Amino acid sequence: MKKHKVLLFFLSSLLIFLIIFVAALLIGRYQISLSDFFKAIFTNDESVEIERNIIVNLRLPRTIVAGVTGVALSVSGLLYQETFQNKLVSPDLLGVSNGAGVGAALAIVLGLSTAFVNIFAFAIAVGTVLLTCLVAKLFRNASSMTLLLSGIIISGLMGSVLALIKYFAEADTQLAVITYWLMGTFSRVDMMSVYVLAPIVAILIAILLILRWRINIVALGKEEAESKGLNYKFYRYLIIGIATLLTASTVAFCGTISWVGLVIPHIVRIISGRDTRKSIPLCITFGAVFMVVVDIISRSFTDQEIPLSAITGIFGTVIFIIVLVRYWRSYHEHQG
Amino acid sequence: MSIKVNHVFFAYQKHGPDTLKDISLNIANQSLNVILGLNGSGKTTLIKVLAGICETKRGEVYYGSTKLNTLTYKERSKIVSYVGQYAKGIEDVKVKDYLAYGLLNSFAFYQSPKEKEMKQVNEIAKKLGIEYLLDKTLGNISGGERQIVSIASALAQNAKVILLDEPTSALDLKNQSVVLALLKRIVASEKRTVILSTHNPNHALLLNANVILIDSGKILEVGSAKKIIKLDKLRKIYGVNFKLGKDFVFKV
Repeated sequence: MKKHKVLLFFLSSLLIFLIIFVAALLIGRYQISLSDFFKAIFTNDESVEIERNIIVNLRLPRTIVAGVTGVALSVSGLLYQETFQNKLVSPDLLGVSNGAGVGAALAIVLGLSTAFVNIFAFAIAVGTVLLTCLVAKLFRNASSMTLLLSGIIISGLMGSVLALIKYFAEADTQLAVITYWLMGTFSRVDMMSVYVLAPIVAILIAILLILRWRINIVALGKEEAESKGLNYKFYRYLIIGIATLLTASTVAFCGTISWVGLVIPHIVRIISGRDTRKSIPLCITFGAVFMVVVDIISRSFTDQEIPLSAITGIFGTVIFIIVLVRYWRSYHEHQG
Repeated sequence: MSIKVNHVFFAYQKHGPDTLKDISLNIANQSLNVILGLNGSGKTTLIKVLAGICETKRGEVYYGSTKLNTLTYKERSKIVSYVGQYAKGIEDVKVKDYLAYGLLNSFAFYQSPKEKEMKQVNEIAKKLGIEYLLDKTLGNISGGERQIVSIASALAQNAKVILLDEPTSALDLKNQSVVLALLKRIVASEKRTVILSTHNPNHALLLNANVILIDSGKILEVGSAKKIIKLDKLRKIYGVNFKLGKDFVFKV
């Protein structure tokens, strides 16, 4: 039983995901009954044309993107935490989020279309992380600490640039759009986003699943990992690169979403223990379930959509407190 | 595997002072060696140069007939393993998983330990008497146990040479002797070459090892412990008076 604990959690969370996924297609401001759902999906009945339209063109792409985003953010959070040997590190550590924010804000101020907002956000997010790595190189010291420091510096720089762009944005129109973008939303997502985002994330996750045991060894740090025969520099940059692409590509479509990359890996580690062979698969299913639920909440209960970061922040922190308190209590009881 | 160190110089900064100055050494196959010296004498640096972690400024290190810095990490790990200070931030890793990391160099990039390899891990743990630790996490075992786990992980790596940087420095008297006895056993029964650094002359005497006496980055003398550890020499290096017992030196 204990031996298969992680497998059990994985399969049950996968099952929950499938149920939540279908539920996400039914729930919303426009409620769809289960019978209409089946009629809309499996028949050509024209009486459910509206329902079919809502499911296929609105809710399906949103739900897929939400799931994919949850996967990407949770896994990249876990990757950053493992490579930096620090459980409190989140995916935006090296400046991804602030970089994406600058890109998106710039495109919005320039009056460009949504596609350009996505491209700008992605490009500057990746560029920011490259800049962080470049600054870290100046230290001539390959330790994680210099990279972390550079991340804080460049992230701060991008935060200031973002503030400047916001200052020059038109207050009534552009500023509102920027602010809303920065809080995260799936409202601009369509089937095109799915076609772009899903393959990118799928390929990156596939690479990670192949390498998932080795990520453990990166966490040992340079000296020990190299002594055990790992090309540490290569794997560290590969993992940081993958984590960055995962975050940047989702953030480019959905804006910045906080807390997911911190909360989900924590919950997962409590179940799986410290072994990336087990924690990565669990992060995938848990992250997907979490974000789909967040999306349902964001779009279903109020006239205006609630920004994603508000929900992930509130739910995330509450879950975080509950999980951590329970864990620490049982841990200390265990210790006597 | 024998080791040859050929006029090695090392400096931590490009234009900084040399931490190691003209080190030449021959270390015999399946021997037990102690690098003895004060804090700051260059013990740790020498171990790291031997491990290939620190690149020499001048001079070469040969393992058998192979030049150390021409090897890939994987090739290197099959020849020499390094036990340094404990990695931080991995306290929640299970001992058995940690030991399995030592098997990395026998895997292709897509492979990971399966049941067969975990059996191997079990056997190594059994050999070193730490089977009871396998399901505990690294943060939940004692300092002495942690050191034995590190040594076990180096054994799992299956390298012919094991380098240990001050393996006894954080241990109490009992665990010091447990670890030293274990290292002695490994040389004999596992047919490895072991090199460890220590600041304690007693350890060299206890192990009856080959001693490499080092001070200010230079080798003062190399030879058997009994021959090298003389009172006047210790007094000069350590700056305190010693008294010689049968197998021990006492600080006075």
